[in-house]
Amino acid sequence: MSASLAVEALTLTLGAFRLNQIDFALARGEILVILGPNGAGKSVTLETIAGFHRPDSGRVLIGGSEVTALPPERRNIGFVVQNFGLFPHLTVAQNVAIARRSDRAIAVPDSTFPAHGDPAALLSYFGVAHLAKRMPAALSPGEKQRVALARALASVPDVFLFDEPFSALDADMREQLREELNTFLRALAIPAILVTHDRGDAIALADKIMVLRDGAVVQSGAATEVFRKPISSFVARFVGVENVLPGRIVETTENGISIEVGKQIVGAARGQSMPAGRPIVVSIHAEDVAVSLPEGERQKSAINRFAGRVTAMRRAGALVTIAIDCGFPLRAFLLGPQVREMGLDVGSGVAVQIAPEAVHIMAD
Amino acid sequence: MWLPPATPSYPGALYLACWFAGGVLLAFLVLPLVALALTQSGASLAGVARMVDVRDAIVLSLEAAFLSAAAAAVVGVPLAYALARTAFPGKGIVAALVDLPLAVPHTVAGIALLLVFGRQGVLGEPLQTFVGLKFWGTIAGVVVAMLFVSAPYTVNAARIGFEAVDPQLEKIARTLGLNPWRTFMRITLPLARRSIMTGVTLTYARSISEFGAVVILVYYPMTAPVKIYELFLRFGLEQSAAAAVLLLIVSLSLFVLLRTLAQRGGVPQENR
Repeated sequence: MSASLAVEALTLTLGAFRLNQIDFALARGEILVILGPNGAGKSVTLETIAGFHRPDSGRVLIGGSEVTALPPERRNIGFVVQNFGLFPHLTVAQNVAIARRSDRAIAVPDSTFPAHGDPAALLSYFGVAHLAKRMPAALSPGEKQRVALARALASVPDVFLFDEPFSALDADMREQLREELNTFLRALAIPAILVTHDRGDAIALADKIMVLRDGAVVQSGAATEVFRKPISSFVARFVGVENVLPGRIVETTENGISIEVGKQIVGAARGQSMPAGRPIVVSIHAEDVAVSLPEGERQKSAINRFAGRVTAMRRAGALVTIAIDCGFPLRAFLLGPQVREMGLDVGSGVAVQIAPEAVHIMAD
Repeated sequence: MWLPPATPSYPGALYLACWFAGGVLLAFLVLPLVALALTQSGASLAGVARMVDVRDAIVLSLEAAFLSAAAAAVVGVPLAYALARTAFPGKGIVAALVDLPLAVPHTVAGIALLLVFGRQGVLGEPLQTFVGLKFWGTIAGVVVAMLFVSAPYTVNAARIGFEAVDPQLEKIARTLGLNPWRTFMRITLPLARRSIMTGVTLTYARSISEFGAVVILVYYPMTAPVKIYELFLRFGLEQSAAAAVLLLIVSLSLFVLLRTLAQRGGVPQENR
């Protein structure tokens, strides 16, 4: 099956900014999250797919046909922006009805969905029919999102583009709305690209992740792959790996790789062979760090088991982030009840253990 | 007049000082007009209103100002949109050109216009020869003089209005299948409507009040300000004051009416 959306070697110059060789493809129902700092080219990429910038070279294919030369109004795109971009001078019903009607239908797994984009039926589908006569200013963020989705679907889009839709919301609302968006997008199986600088959006929504920096792709792939095996410390920090530590290769044996990190030797599972002495960076997810109370001499010889001391604790909901000094700084997660049971406090002695498979080596 | 309670955390004394200074200005603006109005009785106003030449002058002023405001809307609003949405080298110069009439003394503007639209003017002569459009002794000349001095108000207000329209909304409209023209008509123009109407109202008001450029380009037919000047020169203060009050009443009530209309049915601004 051909991809629902494909971007091939897209290159674009916009003043001093240059978008360089962007490549990716999305299948039906897939969600791609484009991550990157401000000015990385995330929105420009989205707007080029939508048809607002003419690329220097490369192609954009939507639903199997090339649209690179078409204006935005002929690309069948659903576009959702920060604060959802409802037209403030039109009622909810008028917002949805302004979309140009299409004689096509969306093939959607959800049989209750009004596939031909009838505005009233769309508002009902999203549970906002009772708001039809309201002005957008009178809606909650959740209601705005639903109306924005209904409106975008009225023109029967082949792909959804979201440009930082949640960036003006507080954390609670943000989490709630992206859960809701996830539910809708999974039910509709329309491919979507979401641009954000918030890794929480990526964790909640992404099938695939593309990390941009200065107009170029740093890493692109399945979300789990990018989270587990970031290609560089830049990506690791951006996708939120809690422990990103500089180190030095000690030796590579058939059992694994030894790395000097701080005052300790950390063992990593065998990957490609690396020359001894080479400086590298390791990333370790906090959830891969096991924390226990020190148990005397027992198990002291176990691999990657280090004695340490708690230097700080930060509570976020049920989860407690514990900073530990074990010869190098390490962060781990514990649940609130565990912390109480273990009687942990700043200064407490602990033992930490890291599975060698969880130690990921990066070049820089 | 509402004054906040002068608690230590509240800058009551500051507001009081501001209101005092502002009150001086308000009095300065209102007092002369009140003094002028008080010189006239109903009978003297009725008398001057019966004078055909005064009535004709007021009607001409209203008509010409209306045409001037309409012309400013037709050519000024597109310029405002272009200035709001496009970037190009020399944009600052174009914006300064728009403001230029505000800095030119209006008698100077009148003389300059005469060179272009006068009997031997670079546009005046060919337009008379080939189209039969004459700018001397006609309402067309009055409109040209008014438009020159008042168009900046429409362009500037409309530009501010367009700049306040979120470009993302226009992009969304495009993805919903609206072409650029429909997007402008359905989204951009309605959202900037209030600013545009404010600008057009100011252009209208400025057109009615114009004297200097008009009197040089077209002495006849007389607009109301020119007529009042003529009455002042020929009959003195008393006669001209009556006509002045009449014009004041007509133009003020129109201004208030237009302002009310312009502000009505505005777009509720979304909380950002």
